[in-house]
Amino acid sequence: MLGPDIQWYVILSALLFSTGALGVMLRRSPLIILLSVEIMLNSANLLLIAFSRLHGSEDGQIFAISVMAVAASEVVVGLGLIVALGRRHVDLDVDRLRTLRG
Amino acid sequence: MVDTASWVCLLLPLAAALAITLAGTRPSRRVTAYVSTVTTMGAFVAAVIAFIGLLGESPDERVNTTTSWTWLSAGPYHFGFTLLTDQLSIVMMLIVTGVGSLIVAYSVGYMDREDEERRYFAYMSLFVFSMLLLVQSGNLLLLLAGWGMVGLSSYLLIGYYQERPSAIAAAKKAFVMNAFGDATMALALFLLIQHTGQLDYAGVFAAAPQSGAVANLIALGLLGGAVAKSAQVPLQTWLPDAMEGPTPVSALIHAATMVTAGVYLIVRCHTLFENAYVVQDLAAALGAVTLLMAGLIALVQTDIKRVIAYSTMSQIGYMFVGAGLGGYSNAMFHLMTHAFFKALLFLATGLAIHAVVGEQDIRKLAGVGKLMPFTKIVFLIGSLALVGIPPFAGFFSKDPILGEALARGWFGITIFVVGVVGAFLTGLYAFRLYFIVFTGEPSAFAREHHHAHHGKEGPFSMMWTVGTLAALSCVGGLLQFTPFWDPLTHWLDPIDPALAEATGWEELLASLLAVGLGLAGMFVAWSIYAAKRRRAPKPVTLFEKKFYWDEVYDLVWYRGAEVVTRALYAFVERPLIAGSMSAVSQAFGLGSRELSTAQNGLVRSYALALASGIAVLTVVFLAAR
Amino acid sequence: MANFLVWCVWFVAAFACLVSALAVVTFRNPFYSALALIGNLASLAVLFLLLSGEFVAAGQVLVYGGAVMVMFLFVIAYLGDKSEDSPWSGGPSWQIVGAVLAGGAILAEVIVVVGLAAGNFLSSPAPITRSFGSPASIGRLFLTDHLLAFEVTSIVLLVAAVGGVVLGSHARVTESSLEGDARA
Repeated sequence: MLGPDIQWYVILSALLFSTGALGVMLRRSPLIILLSVEIMLNSANLLLIAFSRLHGSEDGQIFAISVMAVAASEVVVGLGLIVALGRRHVDLDVDRLRTLRG
Repeated sequence: MVDTASWVCLLLPLAAALAITLAGTRPSRRVTAYVSTVTTMGAFVAAVIAFIGLLGESPDERVNTTTSWTWLSAGPYHFGFTLLTDQLSIVMMLIVTGVGSLIVAYSVGYMDREDEERRYFAYMSLFVFSMLLLVQSGNLLLLLAGWGMVGLSSYLLIGYYQERPSAIAAAKKAFVMNAFGDATMALALFLLIQHTGQLDYAGVFAAAPQSGAVANLIALGLLGGAVAKSAQVPLQTWLPDAMEGPTPVSALIHAATMVTAGVYLIVRCHTLFENAYVVQDLAAALGAVTLLMAGLIALVQTDIKRVIAYSTMSQIGYMFVGAGLGGYSNAMFHLMTHAFFKALLFLATGLAIHAVVGEQDIRKLAGVGKLMPFTKIVFLIGSLALVGIPPFAGFFSKDPILGEALARGWFGITIFVVGVVGAFLTGLYAFRLYFIVFTGEPSAFAREHHHAHHGKEGPFSMMWTVGTLAALSCVGGLLQFTPFWDPLTHWLDPIDPALAEATGWEELLASLLAVGLGLAGMFVAWSIYAAKRRRAPKPVTLFEKKFYWDEVYDLVWYRGAEVVTRALYAFVERPLIAGSMSAVSQAFGLGSRELSTAQNGLVRSYALALASGIAVLTVVFLAAR
Repeated sequence: MANFLVWCVWFVAAFACLVSALAVVTFRNPFYSALALIGNLASLAVLFLLLSGEFVAAGQVLVYGGAVMVMFLFVIAYLGDKSEDSPWSGGPSWQIVGAVLAGGAILAEVIVVVGLAAGNFLSSPAPITRSFGSPASIGRLFLTDHLLAFEVTSIVLLVAAVGGVVLGSHARVTESSLEGDARA
């Protein structure tokens, strides 16, 4: 195989994942949180493709396509919720949206 | 025939008690009273039949046991519902049913127009059944059952006047002190089971340990029960208070039968006591102490029933002396004559109380003898029998006990001295009572409140029963006049051989001293209370306060328990037990409050929790691999 | 030579990937964050190509970049400019520290786990044919070995579409009732 070995892709994927995780844990706007979740999903896709190449079987790519479809569905629902919130002129601040507290 | 008669004797009073209880208020009061009386008399007839049957058997075969079913079976131990009809138990059966039926018949008149007679007669029948169970039982376990039931009947009857707080308190006191005796008896039975594996009279006396600490403990436990039931020192304080019950109850339970159960126990288990002669001597010593102390207290009492109660305590002391020194037939004979004349004294007192609106203070009852001559005569007979003047009953039964004491060395001689001093005191207090209440001019109170019963002194049921007892007190003693003729001793010999026999000279000496001092006491009483030649001395406070037994017990047991309870409450209950409860609940509250701060509703902290959890778990799974 | 080129491309793509990811989580304006994510997706597509996943790379650009991100941008535009000041404040005091720690821990763990599980043969990828990752082979797999996954994924998409419609219509109904109240 030309180029870097698979372990480079693994490290890149891990970095992307942790970046996405930090975004989820630290940002206040639900939109940005959703974007960070997308980053995490993409890092998983990268790992899948990398291992698919390592094993020489395309099952990993199939999995990645399915992940993409599910991620799209999830974004639809999430954005629908955010739009609904925005329509009611609610503050898009995750710290304010806390009625599900114990 | 003997067995059937024994069963009938036992079960008739039980049937009466159950019938009266279940019938409730449907039958009239008269009918209930007659049912109770007739069944008790029927029990007496059955006892007589059993006695005749026993007479027909040879002396060796007079032990008749009959078991109806195995009552308690636990592992290798089996206890049956066994009745034993032998020489000793038939004597007790005759006394209990005989005197009992007379007293129940007396109650028909005494309790007439009482608040709830039916309850009274149910209790009386229950008591007769319990007492018969006690004396007829063939093993110690059934005896303990009867023991407890007579205690129950006593409690129920002492507290018969339910509205009186003093009666309730007296009933509780009697029950608690008897329960103490029951506990020591149970412990003795445990030891017996452990060392012999059985409780039947046939086997346990032969198999019991002959000597040593265990034998002493067993005898001590039984003595504890006997002392509690017979109101001897140190468990005697309940008997005077038990006079709160109706007078027939005092006559039956607290004079003739229940309080003598302790004597019966010692005589029945004499083998166990002889194995532990120290305890047997202790029984005699306690009897001696009690008879002296009770005699002294009786000198200063002003309630007529309490005088007779202390007299009972004193006379049972004589019986304990007799049994403790080994003169079992003497003790049983005195038990029998005492039943006659003590019941007579109580019932005669009842005639007076019944006629003078229930008053019991002798100062208020003074001189009522002039208004009630019949009562005066029977009371005189009873008092003479009590003091032991021949030919009345007490003379024949009390003196052999003292005579036997002389035959038992220095210990016996000491007891003899106490006994004759007691005879002097008996004469003194008995005739103090007689002279105050039944001689002289009637007091203003008596004259004002005396009500004759249709022109006679009392209802017929009360009169004929008292008369019968008076006749028995006159001639009953003639049954046995040691050493000239002693059928009772021979009768009881196969099961209760006496430990020592008094010689003729000792008997004579004892009789002379006892009778002489008794007469001396009577003379002193006459000179103070009747002829008024001397001023009555001031009552000694020690005697009036009953030697402070009640106060000591109150201090030691009641206040002691109170102190311990308060200390336990302050130091153990509140900080430890209640404190640990509240500590647990507080810990939970605290924990949940702290934990609930994690539920803050912030998405970001939930996400952080997720991420941290994943991080930790990954390490855990890695390490587990 | 070819190897060196590939290495350069890889580094550029990886660098762009990481920078754009950081940009997503740090920009205050959500519009800029969405644009940065588009850049992230594009560099990921390049990396997919380097891994012989041609169809997936195309799908990534078309679906993710073309559809999902456009949807994002539409929503952000609709909601207006909601730039936050101090985007990282709020929450418990230990939030930032805990988040950094957790993120670092996850990073380390992923590398360690993968290394432990597959460390030996990460340097020896299997040989592949020219048709590896081509639309033909992906399609064949979808319709033969992974038919169930294919069908289930389409159902998920259907559900999401229905959900979107429902969420959207519900908002419309409420809005018209609100307008009705305001007029009355």
